Amino acid sequence: MKLNIEGLLVYFPYDYIYPEQYSYMLELKRTLDAKGHGVLEMPSGTGKTISLLSLIVAYQKVYPLEVTKLIYCSRTVPELEKVVEELRKLLKFYSKQTGEANNFLALALSSRKNLCIHPEVSSLRFGKEVDAKSHSLTASYVRARHRIDPSVPVCPFYEEFDAIGRQVPLPAGIYNLDDLKEFGRRKGWCPYYLARHSILHANIVVYSYHYLLDPKIADLVSKELAKKSVVVFDEAHNIDNVCIDSMSVNITRRTLDRCQSNVDTLHNAIQKIKETDAAKLKEEYRRLVEGLKEANVARETDVYMSNPVLPDEILHEAIPGSIRTAEHFVGFMKRFLEYLKSRLRVHHVVQESSPHFLKDIFDKVCIDCKPLRFCAERLRSLLRTLEIADIADFSAITLISNFATLVSTYSQGFTIIIEPFEDRTPTIANPVLHFSCMDPSIAIKPVFERFQSVIITSGTLSPLDIYPRILDFRPVTVASFTMTLARTCLCPLIVGRGNDQVALSSKFETREDFAVIRNYGNLLLDMSAIVPDGIVAFFTSYVYMENIVASWYEQGILENIQRNKLIFIETPDAAETSMALEKYQEACENGRGAILLSVARGKVSEGIDFVHHFGRAVIMFGVPYVYTQSRILKARLEYLRERFQIRENDFLTFDAMRHAAQCVGRVIRGKTDYGLMIFADKRYARADKRGKLPRWIQEHISDGSLNLTVDETVQLSKHFLRQMAQPFRQEDQLGLSLLTLEQLESEEMLQKIAQMAHQS
Amino acid sequence: MDEEPERAKRWEGGYERTWEVLKEDEFGSLKATVEEILFQSKRKRAQESHGQVRLGMMRHLYVVIDSSRSMEDQDLRPSRLTTTLKLIEAFVVEYFDQNPISQVGIITTKNKRAEKLTDLAGNPRKHIATLKKAADSTCIGEPSLYNSLNLAMQTLKHMPGHTSREILIIFSSLTTCDPANIYELVKTLKELKIRVSVIGLSAEVRVCTVLTRETGGTYHVILDESHFKELLMFHVKPPPASASSECSLIRMGFPQHMIASLCDQDAKPSFSMSHLENSSDPGLSLGGYFCPQCHAKYTELPVECKVCGLTLVSAPHLARSFHHLFPLEPFMESPVEEHQGERFCQACQGELKDKCVFTCPSCSSVFCTECDLFIHNSLHCCPSCIHSQTPR
Repeated sequence: MKLNIEGLLVYFPYDYIYPEQYSYMLELKRTLDAKGHGVLEMPSGTGKTISLLSLIVAYQKVYPLEVTKLIYCSRTVPELEKVVEELRKLLKFYSKQTGEANNFLALALSSRKNLCIHPEVSSLRFGKEVDAKSHSLTASYVRARHRIDPSVPVCPFYEEFDAIGRQVPLPAGIYNLDDLKEFGRRKGWCPYYLARHSILHANIVVYSYHYLLDPKIADLVSKELAKKSVVVFDEAHNIDNVCIDSMSVNITRRTLDRCQSNVDTLHNAIQKIKETDAAKLKEEYRRLVEGLKEANVARETDVYMSNPVLPDEILHEAIPGSIRTAEHFVGFMKRFLEYLKSRLRVHHVVQESSPHFLKDIFDKVCIDCKPLRFCAERLRSLLRTLEIADIADFSAITLISNFATLVSTYSQGFTIIIEPFEDRTPTIANPVLHFSCMDPSIAIKPVFERFQSVIITSGTLSPLDIYPRILDFRPVTVASFTMTLARTCLCPLIVGRGNDQVALSSKFETREDFAVIRNYGNLLLDMSAIVPDGIVAFFTSYVYMENIVASWYEQGILENIQRNKLIFIETPDAAETSMALEKYQEACENGRGAILLSVARGKVSEGIDFVHHFGRAVIMFGVPYVYTQSRILKARLEYLRERFQIRENDFLTFDAMRHAAQCVGRVIRGKTDYGLMIFADKRYARADKRGKLPRWIQEHISDGSLNLTVDETVQLSKHFLRQMAQPFRQEDQLGLSLLTLEQLESEEMLQKIAQMAHQS
Repeated sequence: MDEEPERAKRWEGGYERTWEVLKEDEFGSLKATVEEILFQSKRKRAQESHGQVRLGMMRHLYVVIDSSRSMEDQDLRPSRLTTTLKLIEAFVVEYFDQNPISQVGIITTKNKRAEKLTDLAGNPRKHIATLKKAADSTCIGEPSLYNSLNLAMQTLKHMPGHTSREILIIFSSLTTCDPANIYELVKTLKELKIRVSVIGLSAEVRVCTVLTRETGGTYHVILDESHFKELLMFHVKPPPASASSECSLIRMGFPQHMIASLCDQDAKPSFSMSHLENSSDPGLSLGGYFCPQCHAKYTELPVECKVCGLTLVSAPHLARSFHHLFPLEPFMESPVEEHQGERFCQACQGELKDKCVFTCPSCSSVFCTECDLFIHNSLHCCPSCIHSQTPR
């Protein structure tokens, strides 16, 4: 259908549209018009992706000069593929409607592991191996050597691509990963480099968060992307953690040992090269004297996106003399390494700020702040000069040099914590140096500064105002959309008491309480008897889950549950978990029924959808607060309070509730789906917790379902499940939650939609 | 016991929130909504008739009753099992009433096994006796969909191609314990054109959804006892025959009931063929129905002749199943305000009090809601049409 969104003609590839999709597009259009950033929350399963795509593509078609590129970031490869498929549908609809051939280029980009077609390399199992092997076949000096000595192996696909592919642009069309591979095979070009090259002139790029947020990768892949792009972060409820992770460094003794051997290798390599090819080192030296002028020029002319690891100041300067020659630099790294080793030899926990750390390092081993700052850049240059192909081996020293640069560059927003042992195992010495970023805005700042519009969207972003604060940007639109429903297909219930009136809570004081554990067990037992097919239960942590399950086993509750359903448990091991998931789905499929016990913040809570029968009920045991005793968290909380005036409790609750919402949101993946959401903790009933749930869940929590007992929950659930099992056809939705074009354009409906957006 | 056991005592009922259903009207009164609810429940009419489609009039139906642990649940009073058996009894009677040339068999499943209670047979009496007996059995273990479907299939697949082969499952449990992949079995059932319908007593189970969708049956979940009954009665009507099912002419016998007068000296009491199996009843009788082909004697109709396999029915039986083929057209519904003329129902002569009146499209007589339901569900013909047709 064709829609008119405030004067913009939008092609929408389906015959029906949800009212909230229309409203979403309206808000999105306003954001693009204002050339600003936006935060939009809309429940999953209401067609967020297609609304985003159809509006932005329409915008691109109408104003090709205003918006040149759409960069769509998502989390996992299956999600990327889904986006590309929606896009394919949309553009097919376009060419059918307008009769013109498609002139859009859209492609997905992923790691070498997913794109490589080299017969030997692609058979490797781990991403790192593939990267290293691929690099050893395509690095410039390997290829140079190949030219002299043809016996040196190179990648034929890359050679072919480099010879021809760079000049010939990828023909317009939609390419998912398989299409790229197929195209690459046909032409004999390397799909990975082809894709990386093509994103520069593609109209739509679909890739993972890390290509934009992780400074190490972003620098390689995304720095040349045009300024007039729209960036969309889908499933962005965890974006602050992604930012923080990409800027944080953890150093263990193992890292240092490996780094030590790296330094030795470097040292040997330098000695060797000195004997054979001293001119090369001299050439490097000369280049370093001239400084990083090139990078500076590039940045000033706004060709590249800035890299937060490479701070502005150092671009104006030459590399300091003390680390300019290769030997000096290696010596410098040795000294730095020794210093870190001495720091790791502590017996008590140390926490200090970056300036303090720098002062200490200056006092002890006379390392100045300035050369530290150039460490990362200097190492890269050295590795290039020494022609070391196997970069993977040097990850340790790269890590250390990145750390050196970061610690000397940012005086604020980071903290250094050295722990001699883990909290749980105080007898085993396992010293770790956490260099942790506390300010997610550092990593994402270049993205907000460079691109015209950045849209942050997800099913669960409530409370909306906190994201702009912690990411430090000013959105022009902030909106939350609810799901219009023809029948109430979600049933959030807050269970506050057991049948014996014992208050249910996972809070620390009552965590070991026998009565609470028993009542939790009874809740799961009763639910397993009345909920068909799949139940997903979330615990707050692995430790808590282990305790409870062990206790249930002793009390015989587990045995009773197993008479109703099979039980599967998520473990920290990825292979085990995916095995459990597979069996769980099988059990749901063939009518045996199953329960999956998993952990909030785990793999299951983030990426796995439990559509229809795979999740008829989700039970959230307790409030999933983070482990508050962690020093990193404490430091971050303190920072948030000082810098952004966010109180500890607010942030902790926000974080817990977004994870709870994420967990329970797993069961509703569309309007025909239905599921129970059971919050088993009396603290959920409090307004400060409940108010932080997404609006589309909140509005279905009635006052009557705030503090239920297990019995009442069972009765309500039974009733709900029977209601939902009644036949539900598309016609029932039409006109209410599903609209045809005529219905949409009726005056009454437009008013209703306007009101809907107004409320938010 | 109360005459209407469906209405459980208030204190026995589930945790309900009756106040949530109620809404005030514009005058702040609750009366309107209560009446509305009552009216709606009255109006909940049986499904729209199929119109002029071929129906599978000759049905072979296996009813599978779940007797697993979950049947002991007391959300139906006094227990799910008792309620189910009672309703199935009513169903069997109604079924033979409406489908005189069809057959029924009963299977129960518990403890991971399936057990055949009665074979396919065209006589309600035996089934009812068995059902009465089954009420005392215990409910244990888990049901097995696979085993019960398999058991039913073993018999049904030998039934002639022109008959409608059906399985109706009353499924109370939420799990099934199967010895093999049930989806293979579903495929086989589909190939054999066996239609499987399920009535769930607790909630929607995925495997049943797929099972019914694939085999072309229906899947419903009950809300309460009256809804349960409604859903069961829905299965009394013969389903539309699938287009690919064979057509054939069926030989049937219409035996006359012979009563040998006592004064007739030649008359000797004789055994009925159906009594050969169960010797509980006094076997010897004088009169009976004699198969026109082989002269075997039966006391009851409809029945399949044990000797020559001829289906024996009486003409009224066949006529009774006729209304499925020519259903009475639905009456036109109109609000009572618009209705001009008499304020009395043609049938019961009562005053038209409900919101709507129903007009017969052929004779344009007016009926009240109650009579409309009665006419469509039981009479199957419009009384005033009949009245006008009869010569005075």
